[in-house]
Amino acid sequence: MTEQEIVAKINSSLAEEFEYDLAAMTPETTLFEDMGLDSLDVVDLVIVLETAFNMKVREEEAIRKIRTLGDIHEFVIAKKRQLEGDR
Amino acid sequence: MTYDYAVIGAGVSGITCALTLARSGHQVALIEQAPRTAPLLRGFSRHGVHFDTGFHYTGGLGPGEPLELFLRYLGVGDRIETFCFDERGFDLFRCDAPAFEFSFPIGFANLREQLAATFPAERQAIESYLEQVAAAGQAMPYLNLEAELSQESLLQRVIGPSLREVLDRLTGNELLKSLLSVHSLLYGVSSREVPFALHAAIAGSYYQSVRGIRGGGLSLARAFDARLAELGVTVLCSRQATAIELSPGGAVSGVRLADGELVPCAAAIATVHPQLLLDLVPEGAFRPVYRKRLASLEETVSAVLCFATCDAPIPGLSGSNRFYIPDTAAMDELGGRAVGRGALYLSAAYRDGDPVPAGFIGICPALYSDVAAWQSRRGERPTGYAEYKEEALERLTAQITRAYPELSGHIRSIEASTPLTVSDYCATPLGGLYGVKHMVGQYNPQPATRVPGLFLSGQAVASPGVMGAVLAGLVTCGTLLGHDRIRKELKGCC
Repeated sequence: MTEQEIVAKINSSLAEEFEYDLAAMTPETTLFEDMGLDSLDVVDLVIVLETAFNMKVREEEAIRKIRTLGDIHEFVIAKKRQLEGDR
Repeated sequence: MTYDYAVIGAGVSGITCALTLARSGHQVALIEQAPRTAPLLRGFSRHGVHFDTGFHYTGGLGPGEPLELFLRYLGVGDRIETFCFDERGFDLFRCDAPAFEFSFPIGFANLREQLAATFPAERQAIESYLEQVAAAGQAMPYLNLEAELSQESLLQRVIGPSLREVLDRLTGNELLKSLLSVHSLLYGVSSREVPFALHAAIAGSYYQSVRGIRGGGLSLARAFDARLAELGVTVLCSRQATAIELSPGGAVSGVRLADGELVPCAAAIATVHPQLLLDLVPEGAFRPVYRKRLASLEETVSAVLCFATCDAPIPGLSGSNRFYIPDTAAMDELGGRAVGRGALYLSAAYRDGDPVPAGFIGICPALYSDVAAWQSRRGERPTGYAEYKEEALERLTAQITRAYPELSGHIRSIEASTPLTVSDYCATPLGGLYGVKHMVGQYNPQPATRVPGLFLSGQAVASPGVMGAVLAGLVTCGTLLGHDRIRKELKGCC
């Protein structure tokens, strides 16, 4: 998967599962203010990423630091690279 | 009137919520579809013998221990009488291949020495296992009132390790691993799936102390009823909640009942199986991801149970239960084997006021899929189901009398229940003996939801068993009223 494809998949998955406007999603979009997520939604966010990319997300510290859509993009891209490196 | 809280489901967690909120001065309505509160705790009687269905024995009920403290806090502690199980052997474990018996003594130190005497080469593994169990129990918020809430991390249980992973690291002795996994029957999840932290909290509480309640779960149910009345909780039995109604702004405004009546409330606590909650709230109330999450939660294993009365007293079952496995692989295959070929649990049943058991309950893990073909045919199930049930009972009876020949020839009456019975009776869609599983990789719901005024409780949010259900009620009330406040009040009861 290219980085562009990863970003597109993250955005479409989140738009569908959190009922957010795909067209309004940019890397600067904030999860809490713009998308209206709160701390309760963090688990669901993890589940969306796990399902979309068929991986286990266990980096609790990293997840807690995520603030923007761009942070999610970076996190998933780094994680995918790491998983591919492990193979 | 508008209630401050409507609690849906008068099981142990719903009652705990109702009592905790009422003692804080709130107006509470408690809604239950069964004719009485806590139907699972009450059990039933046959030929003068009472069979407990939801409660057989528990840890944490010794003086000063968590459940004893919780029940005192709820105002029911002095309304029940508890008794200690056999200190030398509260659970008697037996395996056929290899032939092996072990009595679990009460107390960590006793257990450590008994295990080490039985498995001398495994002393180090045994000591390490018991230390890890004790430490994990100490880290549980509420079970240890000093434990930081933040210690219970978001992902801790989901990440694991599983019980099996911890055991595999400690020893290669399969018999020892089976023995230390046998209490997985108390939460219905195999050792490969259960988070070690959950196993430790439950099994560890039994290692510490093991008690029963005089008169069984029925006594506890009656104590709860008396306290609910004392605190002025409005108890609505035989009333099924069919919808949680929201205001135009999206907040909870009431609970609609099957007869059309609305129970107006500022907030609702649903203790139902999370999957059933989806039928109660409007379609758009939850986001798709959360709906899918609740809908896909796996349930614990189901079971075939038997309820037997005996023509002679069976003192051997007094104050101790039986765990039987045919071979060491059986603990890894909960429900994966035909009835009569897998693990088996036996517990005593008593005639009213008689201290010597007059019957027993047998529980054998089984899969809901075995009976799924006959679901939703309650009351008019076809002959195929009757045949299944009859055969299951025959197989189970044969296994019991083979494993415990002393019972052979003394069974006067015996009846069975199936995973469908469990599904109907416990309101678990797939007959899970303990409802939603607590397993590595599964994200169980938390008490708060994104619907203002809607909260969840029930074992799925904490852990199974009476202690788990009380804990779930307290954790939900902590979410509502503030955890520090609830913990401070609990400490005040110490």
